[in-house]
Amino acid sequence: MYPPQLGYYRPVSLSDALDFLSNEDVKPLAGGQSLIPMLKFRILKPKFLLDLNPLKELNHISSGDDSVIIGATVTHASLVKSGIVRIDLPLLHQSAKKVGDMQVRNMGTIGGSLANADPSADYPAVVTAYNAKLRLQSSKGVREVEAKDFFKGPYTTELREDELLVEIVFPKLKGYNYKYAKIVRRAGDYALVGMAVLAKVDGVVKDIRIAYTGVSDKPFRPYEIEKSLLDTKPSENVIRDFAEKVASQVNPPSDSRGSSEYRRKVMKTLTVNTLKEVLGIVS
Amino acid sequence: MLVRPGEKAKIKIKVNGIWYEREVEPRQLLVHFLRDELGLTGTKIGCDTSTCGACTVLLNGKSVKSCTVLTVQADGAEVTTIEGLDAKELKEAFKENFALQCGYCTPGMIVQAHYLLKEHQHLSEEEIREGIHGNICRCTGYQNIVKAIRQVAGGDGHVHG
Amino acid sequence: MYTGKPIKRLYDDKFVNGKSTYVDDIQISTYYAGFVRSPYAHALIKSIDVSDALKVQGIVAVFTAKDLEVKEGIGIWTTYEDPKLWKFVKRKPLADKKVRYAGEPVAIVIGTDKYSVRDAIDKVSVDYERLPATVKMEDSLEDKVIIHEELKTNVAFDRTYSAGNIENAFKNADKVIPVEITNNRLIPSPMEPRGIIARYEGGFLTVWYSTQVPHTARSEFSRIFGIPSSKIRVIMPDVGGAFGSKVNILPEDISVIASAIKLGRPVRWTATRSEEMLASEARHNTFKGEIAVNREGRLLGIRGDLLVDLGAYLTYTAPLQPAIIPLMIPGPYKVRDIHIRSRAVYTNTPPITMYRGASRPEATFIIERIMSIIADELKLDDVRVREVNMVRTDEMPYTNPFGLKYDSGDYLGLLREGLKALKYYQLKGWAEEERKKGRKIGVGMAFYLEISGFGPWEFGEVRVSETGDVLVITGGTPHGQGTETAIAQIVADTLQIDINRVKVVWGDTEIVAASMGTYGSRTASAAASAALVAAKEVLEKMKRTAAKILNVDVEEVAYSNGEFSAGGKKVSWDEVAASSYASNEPGIYAQVTLPGDVTFPYGVHVAVVEVDDYGIIKVKDYKAYDDIGVVINPALAEGQIHGGATQAVGQATLEEAIINDDGQLVVTYADYFIPTAVETPKFESHFVEKPHPSAYPTGAKGVGEAALIVGPAVIVRAIEDATGKRFNKTPVRPEDVI
Repeated sequence: MYPPQLGYYRPVSLSDALDFLSNEDVKPLAGGQSLIPMLKFRILKPKFLLDLNPLKELNHISSGDDSVIIGATVTHASLVKSGIVRIDLPLLHQSAKKVGDMQVRNMGTIGGSLANADPSADYPAVVTAYNAKLRLQSSKGVREVEAKDFFKGPYTTELREDELLVEIVFPKLKGYNYKYAKIVRRAGDYALVGMAVLAKVDGVVKDIRIAYTGVSDKPFRPYEIEKSLLDTKPSENVIRDFAEKVASQVNPPSDSRGSSEYRRKVMKTLTVNTLKEVLGIVS
Repeated sequence: MLVRPGEKAKIKIKVNGIWYEREVEPRQLLVHFLRDELGLTGTKIGCDTSTCGACTVLLNGKSVKSCTVLTVQADGAEVTTIEGLDAKELKEAFKENFALQCGYCTPGMIVQAHYLLKEHQHLSEEEIREGIHGNICRCTGYQNIVKAIRQVAGGDGHVHG
Repeated sequence: MYTGKPIKRLYDDKFVNGKSTYVDDIQISTYYAGFVRSPYAHALIKSIDVSDALKVQGIVAVFTAKDLEVKEGIGIWTTYEDPKLWKFVKRKPLADKKVRYAGEPVAIVIGTDKYSVRDAIDKVSVDYERLPATVKMEDSLEDKVIIHEELKTNVAFDRTYSAGNIENAFKNADKVIPVEITNNRLIPSPMEPRGIIARYEGGFLTVWYSTQVPHTARSEFSRIFGIPSSKIRVIMPDVGGAFGSKVNILPEDISVIASAIKLGRPVRWTATRSEEMLASEARHNTFKGEIAVNREGRLLGIRGDLLVDLGAYLTYTAPLQPAIIPLMIPGPYKVRDIHIRSRAVYTNTPPITMYRGASRPEATFIIERIMSIIADELKLDDVRVREVNMVRTDEMPYTNPFGLKYDSGDYLGLLREGLKALKYYQLKGWAEEERKKGRKIGVGMAFYLEISGFGPWEFGEVRVSETGDVLVITGGTPHGQGTETAIAQIVADTLQIDINRVKVVWGDTEIVAASMGTYGSRTASAAASAALVAAKEVLEKMKRTAAKILNVDVEEVAYSNGEFSAGGKKVSWDEVAASSYASNEPGIYAQVTLPGDVTFPYGVHVAVVEVDDYGIIKVKDYKAYDDIGVVINPALAEGQIHGGATQAVGQATLEEAIINDDGQLVVTYADYFIPTAVETPKFESHFVEKPHPSAYPTGAKGVGEAALIVGPAVIVRAIEDATGKRFNKTPVRPEDVI
């Protein structure tokens, strides 16, 4: 309930922040909706908090020709309110509405959620489905990491100690069907199983990207098995087969929300139901 | 601003229309600042996992859980607590509809309901329930709370006043 | 006339304006206390090093068991519980030499601010030697690991409840069916985590306490500390819900008081939510046995073993359950041959207390599951089985096999009337049609007869001021129910005055001469009745004063709506009040300690449940039809149904206090799923048009616990209907269903 003793740095610019980050034991603070609960339980005891909120350069939604760039400190609520996100990144928009509750969405940020990499969070699966690119910056420079390479394990990402996630680049996928489906035990909870789907259908499946959360220690995308759906006009049987295959690829966790076997069953059913909806398959 | 561990941060925060200048530990939760430093005990603490919403206040007009905000994050910001909330119609509606029993969730619930009504022009019952699921009540079963909010929203689902 | 109307609650203004004062809101200068707790379920304490903790800035003291002297440990609720039947140790403030559950307080840290106290807690170094732990109650029975050495066994209570001729019953059975019925561990979780402030000055102890029973707490503190009750004041501030859990007196509470006495400075402690989840856990019991039935569905006999988990220590309120559950298992049914061995056993887990219903939910779940099992096994209808077994009106008042006298009621009548009003059969038909379309929708019902309105007495005082306003001092201790408004209604009606002239106070032992408190659904019955009788006495006194003013004999004085009259002359209520203060016997007041005894409300509830493809169970509708005697305020009564039913939804589908093999509670408030507005059903609540009043002067029987008493059985039955599977436990988890 009471965070441990810590220091605090409020930077005047991004470069100022990055310089400070090269010190030891500094934890960036954006919305705090994941960080502060951990501080309260004293799971984390950083020496300094680096407040990213003053950095206007991290709080933007910029639309380009074929991509949308979202700054790391954009809140979930801002994503929900944004016309650009609603129109050009509808999968992201749909998932943003499902994060936590209204109060959490008013503070929590997309960068915070991605950097935290909770295995049951929503955005990791979404950015993985989008093949989004994450821009990581340190005082030494910027590098771009693909979503598929960003998540390493539970609460573990590609971010180095002196790096900040500054923005995420999403492709504008015109003409794609989409769905973010999330199964929870109780409203506002983390996903028991969550599934992000983007699919381009033109008679047959031209492109399909499927990523799950809650079934592994990081977002799971069955890259190879996805390909089996390309250039096909899938039937319900094909979808069921697909669901069996992907479910056999993971070893979901067991916890207070549900057992591993239960999560596997949910994953299968969610896959069938969601793909049927997205690909327009009628039983 | 650099505050070393053990040192305090100098902040300025406007609460219910009054500016306060104080020195606070960076680790201090906003809810403790409001309750213990300013004596505004209307905002309650109900849990330690950011689940229950009893601590809900408005921060620059947006509803937030003040137990999950550090006071330093609210430096320069405007905070409205239940004591300063201009929501007479909503408060009356809560009383009329028996939307409270033990009263502990009530301040947070009213602040959140007020925010919900501000943000939305139309509110169906389902949308109200979705909008308040960050606020837990153990006594009422929510039906009367939803009724009270609907009453202010207008029976036709349109937000009035 | 206020009784029977949904009069608005008298004191809501402070709650909606943020002016409520729960114990943590009280602004007096105090030290703060926090606790060092054992991470292990069972361990020896080899040593405790507090030196580093004392060095933390702001820390005033760190006390362990050896530092806090008490005359006696915490006992049990002897008003209702017989210590002679129990093997237990009186709980001392802090663990001495040994810890027996993960979370047991081992040291108290006192400092000038909460954050420093928390820092110092981390710096207390305890050297534990782990011991094997017995976590499951079935294992504890074997006494392989003994938790309290001096008791030589883990079995704290072992009593057999036997009535009729069980051998006969089973000999004459057409069918014998084995049953195993379980409620898993729950956490009452009121919104306000409990707290206490203790101040000891000049030999006088003042305690602000988030409690349901200030006077009982005072007696306990008196006994524990050896301070006369007359030198102790317990003040109940606003209390943010309790559900029975705040009758429990914690060793943490005693540690705070002991520290305040030792330091000569006020000390306060407010539990964090994590601590509140350890402070009061509940239910957790299994009934395993068999039932004898005939082919018409008549329940001929019940025999078996009831096993109740106590956790590591016997709490103030835990003894109720194992002793009362068997008595109420027969419910409203005619079964007379019963043989139940009831045992309560210690485990190395957080201690168990009572929770809304306190034994009646456990008993009702058992008997209603038995009724449904009979229905399924004999392929009969749920309603038919109950009809076949119910006690009839011509048998009332009915003395149950264990001597409980059901005062009044028409069980069959309400069953039929209620199911009709709740449209049960239409709903069952509709659900069946929906299931044919592939939806997993189910409808369930269950009936309850419960025992409430516990005596032995309650206190009520009524005072009329010189301006004619009325002060009611009640021994009831409302903490959210709104029954202070019901009491005001009763008094206003008795005195025939405007309810806005009536003020109700409670909860301060200095102001209230005596009190038992609010629990067991007894406020509208016992407390309001004591106030009613006191109001009547006050009215008699007013009449005598009026008689003097009018110069007539008191027998000639009539009273109606604020006016006393006799022989054509009149004098007003206000004039009489003013005059009484000017006389030789100033003041008009009456104090009543009203004896009372239990009464038996009953009802039938129905739920509609839908299970989705993922096993997520949603209770869509919950409907109640109850005879709770006279309904003083239908809005307040309905509120109790809504709240109780929501807790039933929690118990049946969401809430589980999961204890791992190491005896640790592994859920936090984030995953102990209290229902939000999204999980909660739509409610419909009816009270019978012609209630059967209790013997209490108000005629009320009580409704506070009803929906949690019967709700879990209703919902589980609906889940069975929806899925075609059978469940005899709570909660039913999604993975049980798909």
